[in-house]
Amino acid sequence: MRRLIGTALSGLILAAALSFGNPVLADDTLDRGIGSEWSSLDPHVNFDAAAGWIQMDAYEGLVTFDSTGKVIPGAAESWDVSADGKTWTFHLRDGLKWSNGDPLVAQDFVNGVMRTLNPDTASEKGYYFYSVIQVKGAKAIADGETKDPATLGFKAPDDRTVVVELESPNPHMLDIMGGFQVPPLHGPSFEANGAAVFIDPTKVVSNGAYVIKEVVPQSHVLLEKNPNYWDAANVKIPKVRYLVTEDVNTELKRYQAGEIDITYDIPVNQIEDLKASVPDQVSIGPSTEVTYYSFNLKRPPLDNIDVRRALSLAIDRETLQAKIVKGGAIPSYSYAGGFDPDYHGPQIAEATMTQADRDAMAKELLAKAGFGPDNPLKLKIVTTVAEDRVRLAQGVALMWKKTLGVEASVDSMERKAWLDAFYAGDWDVFADNLVGDFAGAETFLAYMRPSAEPGYNWVKPEYDAAMDVAAQEVDPAARNEKLAAAEKILLDDTIFAPIAIEPTRHMVSPNVKGWATSAAGYNNSQFLSLE
Amino acid sequence: MLRFIGKRLWDGGLTLAALITLTFFVMRLAPGGPFSKSRKISPEVLANIQKTYHLDEPVWMQFVRYVKGLLTFDLGPSTRFRDYDVGGIIASGLPWSVTIGIWAIIVASLVGIALGVAGAMRRNSPTDYAAGIVGIVGVAVPIFVIGPLMQVIFALRLGWVPVGGIEGGWRALVLPILVLALPNIAYISRLTRSSMIETLRENYVRTARAKGIGERRVVWGHVLKGTLLPVIAYLGPATAAIITGSILIETIFALPGIGRHFVDAALNRDYPLVMGITLLYGALLILLNIVTDLIRAWIDPRLRNGR
Repeated sequence: MRRLIGTALSGLILAAALSFGNPVLADDTLDRGIGSEWSSLDPHVNFDAAAGWIQMDAYEGLVTFDSTGKVIPGAAESWDVSADGKTWTFHLRDGLKWSNGDPLVAQDFVNGVMRTLNPDTASEKGYYFYSVIQVKGAKAIADGETKDPATLGFKAPDDRTVVVELESPNPHMLDIMGGFQVPPLHGPSFEANGAAVFIDPTKVVSNGAYVIKEVVPQSHVLLEKNPNYWDAANVKIPKVRYLVTEDVNTELKRYQAGEIDITYDIPVNQIEDLKASVPDQVSIGPSTEVTYYSFNLKRPPLDNIDVRRALSLAIDRETLQAKIVKGGAIPSYSYAGGFDPDYHGPQIAEATMTQADRDAMAKELLAKAGFGPDNPLKLKIVTTVAEDRVRLAQGVALMWKKTLGVEASVDSMERKAWLDAFYAGDWDVFADNLVGDFAGAETFLAYMRPSAEPGYNWVKPEYDAAMDVAAQEVDPAARNEKLAAAEKILLDDTIFAPIAIEPTRHMVSPNVKGWATSAAGYNNSQFLSLE
Repeated sequence: MLRFIGKRLWDGGLTLAALITLTFFVMRLAPGGPFSKSRKISPEVLANIQKTYHLDEPVWMQFVRYVKGLLTFDLGPSTRFRDYDVGGIIASGLPWSVTIGIWAIIVASLVGIALGVAGAMRRNSPTDYAAGIVGIVGVAVPIFVIGPLMQVIFALRLGWVPVGGIEGGWRALVLPILVLALPNIAYISRLTRSSMIETLRENYVRTARAKGIGERRVVWGHVLKGTLLPVIAYLGPATAAIITGSILIETIFALPGIGRHFVDAALNRDYPLVMGITLLYGALLILLNIVTDLIRAWIDPRLRNGR
């Protein structure tokens, strides 16, 4: 028996000894965390932001974004727009190539958009072309009314020109012309191999700075520099590996062990410690995700604006983020464009008041509506199960209880159930959030149009009208002014309480150079370098 | 023997059929569906996507479609991972789960049996107590505590193994295998110890001793055989449980096994993937139970004849 134990022990010791030479991960590879597994590598289908990073490395759109989120030329070296803002002409670079050496032509971009819109592709991304921007004929193709490319206002008159015709002017047009929205399609490969052309490394053909070389589901995607990329000379990192690590605590340890250079997220309970110990490695900035608590206008007494305003006022947003959630979100009193320096939203009186004043006002409003200590308001908050979301809801409930005597219960549910609960309407307060399609105010305001989203039961023709007025404005500054006027109509009705702008959180190794935070959240590997 | 196997397989098939039917319908009771995600999708587009996956059909029709697919070994497409079908996902994840599972069960058996035998041979000695403590710790400390702790010690502090992932090759598998084995080491050692103590009191052991056989041969030739019967009975289902039940391990160590897919699929209402993995787990459990019974019958003639 002793021998058996001895053997087992020496085996273990041997294993330990062998593993002493821990493999130092090759330092020509940038290792980036992407959280959960990508849902698809098909660029015309993928809708996930994290998988979008892989996509942005592998495919280049007409334009691209630098690390700070600024639009810069991509496959198109320049573009011009007509005076009415409705016709955009993109001029492709000379000598563009696919990763297999084939010439990349303007028609490839048209084919990409056609595939995204084609109902057979079953992509959720078609709405970029008929909702976010209104490309002529896009809706008819998405709805399956026609398959004729000639009806689409996205055309290639010659090999180096792409012309986009819009139904109404849109200054955010360029935000929708990146590799995430308009990746080109290599027709011959797609015809021969179908969707494998995006997924199978032996068949992949792409036009970005990198090409997919290895795919292991639930583990990683490895990309290598694309020698046929037009700017390959300036791509500094030879290999990029995107690593799946669902558990944020494990991811942080992998980072600390040097296995990951840029993490997907930071565990919320570690932020303070990390900020104290390695402040220059913690990268936190605003994202295009806003959190707001929607009120159910169908349920009395929430149909009373005084009640809604009282509830909104009684939320101490600073304390909520700084003391309760502690996730790095930015407290917010407005809805749209908190991260857009060009957008100046409406003046909000609450924003400059002290919390004591807000509380006093809230009490007064709620008393006016007939609620008080002997007749407490009872509410149900519906939120997702994510830890910080639940904490946020509990914090809000606590503030309502303390200030207003409101008895709010928190009902946390799985994400899918939460999404369905919204339309089922079984909630008083819905812990809502929205991720913008680009880093601008308009994407949020357009979403709130009663005509676009009936789920809020908000009847406000004035708002739709104000948005229609803004939509006709070509000049960006004037357009933002009109948008701010619309936002005022939205905020004045308090159909929701704005809470915060959610952050992006990454640990970034000191070896990585060129990293910057941006609300757009594109951090193409081609603009980074390793030291 | 063949008839026995045939009957067990038939029973297993019926069980699987019941499992499939139940899972198929119960799963759909959960709120939400595979595509209830973005509220930005227009109803037309959503309807289109639903149609692609036949989710617009009545549930019974979907069931018929699914069963028809099963008969041709087609597990259907995944709605969460659009790049693969369910068969492909299982094929890519199963080898990892099986590798970790098999090694964990080997380690657990070797160490567990050794500790158990040592404990039984020297009852109430320091060896016995040490084995007992390992047992208690192994059972009582949950994986999500011991896993991260081992990561900190062996990966971060000592740097012997990677924290997670598969880039480190076999080194990456050392910690997950150990952590997965630990509760089983504990259980197997306790099982072996008590079984051995009982066996040592058996008449045939006394007879063997009376015949003057040396202690070593008594233990190896007679006692151990009797001791291992309950351990083997435990190992069959335990192997199935370890292969299928490494969900937490796979998450903590970021391994691309099948357990992670199972959780992910359930949360994302990926009906075909949930079905596929449920079917796999069910089949695995049934098969390993049959194998266990066969091994036990082979070791213990009483089971063979008394059937």
